[in-house]
Amino acid sequence: MATAAWNIEKRPDDRVRTGKQYPSKILYYVLMIILSCFFFYPMIWLVLSSFRTNREIFTTPFGLPNTIAWQNWADAWNVGNMSIYAKNSVIVTSITIVGILLFASLAAFAFSKLKFTGSKALMLMFVFGLFMPLQSFFIAQSYIFERLHLKDSYMGLILPYIGIGLPLAIFLLKAYLDSVPKELMEAARIDGCSNFVLFAKIIFPLLIPSMATVGIFSALNTWNELLLAMLYIQNDELKTIPVGLLAFSSRYTTDYKLLFSALSIITIPMIVLYVFFHRYIVAGLTEGALK
Amino acid sequence: MSPKSRSAYLFVAPAVLLFAFTILVPIVMTFAFSFYDWNGFGAMNFVGLDNYARAFQDRIYWSSYSHILIYIIATVFLEVLVGLCLAGLITMGRKGSSLFRIAFFTPVMLPMIVVSYIWRFVYNSDFGLLNSILTAVGLESWTNVWLGNPNTALLAICLVSGWVYAGFYMTIFYSGIQRIPKDVYESAYLDGATEWTIFTKIKMPMIRGLVDTGVMLCVLTGFQAFDLFYVMTNGGPYNSTEIVTTYLVKVVFNNMSIGYGSALAVIMTVVIAVIGLLAGKLQRKDNSLEY
Repeated sequence: MATAAWNIEKRPDDRVRTGKQYPSKILYYVLMIILSCFFFYPMIWLVLSSFRTNREIFTTPFGLPNTIAWQNWADAWNVGNMSIYAKNSVIVTSITIVGILLFASLAAFAFSKLKFTGSKALMLMFVFGLFMPLQSFFIAQSYIFERLHLKDSYMGLILPYIGIGLPLAIFLLKAYLDSVPKELMEAARIDGCSNFVLFAKIIFPLLIPSMATVGIFSALNTWNELLLAMLYIQNDELKTIPVGLLAFSSRYTTDYKLLFSALSIITIPMIVLYVFFHRYIVAGLTEGALK
Repeated sequence: MSPKSRSAYLFVAPAVLLFAFTILVPIVMTFAFSFYDWNGFGAMNFVGLDNYARAFQDRIYWSSYSHILIYIIATVFLEVLVGLCLAGLITMGRKGSSLFRIAFFTPVMLPMIVVSYIWRFVYNSDFGLLNSILTAVGLESWTNVWLGNPNTALLAICLVSGWVYAGFYMTIFYSGIQRIPKDVYESAYLDGATEWTIFTKIKMPMIRGLVDTGVMLCVLTGFQAFDLFYVMTNGGPYNSTEIVTTYLVKVVFNNMSIGYGSALAVIMTVVIAVIGLLAGKLQRKDNSLEY
């Protein structure tokens, strides 16, 4: 292979003209389409199956369903309390995101632009938090929350979710602020701005693009979190989508069409969101994980 | 030099207090709990290192480490390596590659719990997609109770993890490859290099740092896997897919052995911390050699 690379006779123009590219082109697209099917077909299969009857699911797993039974979806939505779960997920996720972004931007500003005793130690604490897995604290956390009656409340989820999200958010926002030149702030300071005005008028607007990245990453993590939600929430009225789905599936273990419908109802909005905002979502997720 | 600022403490206070309350204090308490025999509400009996001694003799606990190890090794191949190959394929400059990129990334968007249910159906022995396909192409003898067979269950779960995250790592590597200057390729094409040589000789070496980061991310997040295992098999059949997280939840919340569970959690934290430190050291060395 390596020697072929240096073969002068194989100029690119020659390759195009000889038409030898066509087989390789076809091969490429065949391979890519097979791969796409592997990644995409399970989801299509899920949605198609949700329109079948339980009997059809067993007899004809492939192909299009005989009728598009929207009724299945309506049933799943109604019997499954899906609107309640969705509402809870929206409440928990939005408050968590506001909390993370507000607290993290305040802290990132102090860590990056202000001098105070203990700033190194406190920052180190958050860096340490970047690497701590959930397992190292959830046992005692569960005990504390039990004692403080925080279980079975929105706060019981929002507080730990903010705590988990803060280290990465502070880290990313501080890294961004470190790259902002000092002169920008010195001018404002000469005008007599206090730190709070400085933060509200200059720093916060500057941080908005980075906050979008952090926000998308944290929002998806919060939206999908299962373990703590499962341990802390027993009340069906307060369950988020992941735990709600768990309860739903244990109640209707064999009613496959309902389960397929419930899963489709949850999946489709996320895919639609993704198709419209994929550029931001992809950037948010990969940047969030890489740093 | 700006003077030390006292208002800085007001800026960091919300983040620090919340982080201390939800993460830091529970970590310290978990460590303390690990020296007691305790069911969470009765008397706490100090037992010294007994819990640790018991952990070292706990067969299921140790086998859960070997399962997570297999899972991590498998996912490094199925996620990072496959992701790298996909990134190579979509950067070959053919038409439509951005569409394939979006398709491959879609599973990342789904909540892990939805993924788990979809694949439980794919692997279902009665009407599952996989057995249906095998039957349709005449390989009926290959059909299997994929998640009910101790020999296949763990690998079946690894494959699902690959299905989700291959697209994620692809995106990371894709953005790295995009940053390689165009003239590097041009001269290679002029020399008649094949796509394969360009992939192995240019694209891969140029994003070496990203690949290392990807492997580290895959290893460290692998330890935190929970949702997929919990929903698909919850450790079964015959503990063949028991991992540390699922076992911890059983010990603490089903058997109510808080002290023992805490000891298991502390060991786990130490293992992850050591691996994280080692990985960090190795990476720093690599980076200094790179250019």
